[in-house]
Amino acid sequence: MDVEAKRIMALSISKLYSLRTQRGGLKLHRSLLLSMTMRAARDIYHTAQLLRDAEEEQVVPCAPDAAPEEPMEISKDSPQTLTPKEVAMKPQEPKETLEEDKENRCASERHSRKRRGKTALETDFLPLKKAKMETDEEKQHLQGEVLRTNNGNSCRQAETLTAFPTNRTIVAC
Amino acid sequence: MCGGLRAGGGGNDVQWCFSQVKGAIDDDVAEADIISTVEFNHSGELLATGDKGGRVVIFQQETENKSQPQCRSEYNVYSTFQSHEPEFDYLKSLEIEEKINKIRWLPQKNAAQFLLSTNDKTIKLWKISERDKRPEGYNLKEEDGRYRDAATITTLRVPVFRPMDLMVEASPRRVFANGHTYHINSISVNSDNETYLSADDLRINLWHLEITDRSFNVVDIKPANMEELTEVITAAEFHPHQCNTFVYSSSKGTIRLCDMRASALCDKHSKLFEEPEDPSNRSFFSEIISSISDVKFSHNGRYMMTRDYLSVKIWDLNMENRPVETYQVHEYLRSKLCSLYENDCIFDKFECCWNGNDSVVMTGSYNNFFRMLDRSQRRDVTLEASRESCKPRQVLKPRRVCAGGKRKKDEISVDSLDFNKKILHTAWHPQENIIAVATTNNLYIFQEKVN
Repeated sequence: MDVEAKRIMALSISKLYSLRTQRGGLKLHRSLLLSMTMRAARDIYHTAQLLRDAEEEQVVPCAPDAAPEEPMEISKDSPQTLTPKEVAMKPQEPKETLEEDKENRCASERHSRKRRGKTALETDFLPLKKAKMETDEEKQHLQGEVLRTNNGNSCRQAETLTAFPTNRTIVAC
Repeated sequence: MCGGLRAGGGGNDVQWCFSQVKGAIDDDVAEADIISTVEFNHSGELLATGDKGGRVVIFQQETENKSQPQCRSEYNVYSTFQSHEPEFDYLKSLEIEEKINKIRWLPQKNAAQFLLSTNDKTIKLWKISERDKRPEGYNLKEEDGRYRDAATITTLRVPVFRPMDLMVEASPRRVFANGHTYHINSISVNSDNETYLSADDLRINLWHLEITDRSFNVVDIKPANMEELTEVITAAEFHPHQCNTFVYSSSKGTIRLCDMRASALCDKHSKLFEEPEDPSNRSFFSEIISSISDVKFSHNGRYMMTRDYLSVKIWDLNMENRPVETYQVHEYLRSKLCSLYENDCIFDKFECCWNGNDSVVMTGSYNNFFRMLDRSQRRDVTLEASRESCKPRQVLKPRRVCAGGKRKKDEISVDSLDFNKKILHTAWHPQENIIAVATTNNLYIFQEKVN
């Protein structure tokens, strides 16, 4: 179930990305549905993660505190890597949301002390290739025609994998 | 379990025959040729289509020999014009697509025909008029337009009108711009013939057909904080007779009926139509498939029909808590929702339509299939718009989809369906059994078989 959830999360994120460069401007309806589906999948996945960690904690004996610190921090970030980047949707308010992100992250670090097994989740969630129909060749062709793209020119590209707020809807222009 | 309930057969069933197909034959579809809307006018004499390239093509029914029942009236091209062009919003750095989202005809008042066409941002009122006479015999000009030498003019004459080859002219009479921040999904002409509404994802505006520089906002569901957005408007329509009533559907599967007499801003609905979700059907994609893609009032104004991804529902306007009828369009897709999410088909917005006497409804599906749902006889049939069934007067054979298990002869399995071939737009002649079905870039016209 959580494998499915993970796949749907990754799918949703890549679709949300491609929405941004689509001709005709951001489709509010589609991005709303995508983010809702992504959140539903994320919730299932997190629940499954928590259950699995609870099981692991019972199985694995206590380790020194220093060692789990690092994996904990990385893996705490990883849930946030999976959710859509709202900053890109609200270009006029990038700073606010980043600061809020930091608040969220701190809050979650405070409350959740659970160990998470996997540390390499970031790359796991990136779809290696987009699972789409042939018609999307047209879409990608059209994307090339749009004047504004993110290809290498926007600093947002670098940020996208690490600074995802978890509970935001996608905002229309 | 295989699809296709008791289909066809029986004395009262209409048999559909191929009549015509419009559009290019080749499989290589140009993006601009993709049909995006189909609409008959109020008499059914004219049939308009809009496409992704911003063009409108109007077909006219031939009126020869209507007294002979065997005669099939054909639709031929009447007028073609470029309604919308691609635009660029410099402030937001966004391209505005020229795709025609909707066409709605105005009831005919004089010799000319009027229609509203809209793209994502701008609505236009077009006048389509015929010219079959022209003035001849000018004093100062030759017939070809060249000016005559004044010295050679010795007499004066009065120009007269002479017949000419019929010319159909389309001219934009009004442009209703800058009314919408979000993408327009619906327009609907009011029964008062003076106003119309236009709806985008978050707002519905009321316009007067004569006034282009302002509109009145009647519904606004934009939250103060966009992060709290949970639903959008997906379709809207005026009641066919009550000029104060309209409905709008949402992405959450609800329909709200609003009365403009109640208050100026109709944020508070008069009625809310909602069916509780079946918990056994809950999945990741429940939200998406419950989103309503189309809402249409019945001609008699007592019912409305909604289309979501898998079903068509008929609602009695007097009963809000559940629909009176539910029809499964392609239930066999329920187990394929994940794949359909992957290939984006789950976001396809199917339309639906009523026949003239509200006894049958029609909607499209995949593989160029479309469904006819007979309310009075409780029958449904699946038909296909295909180049293989294009012989004149060829009767359409009912199609069956096999969801699983052993596939019978003549059945097609779900996995063989072509999801690139979708019928999103269909229209039914207001009086006769003539239907227009749009595949990706072709328009099929089917008629009732006449014995």
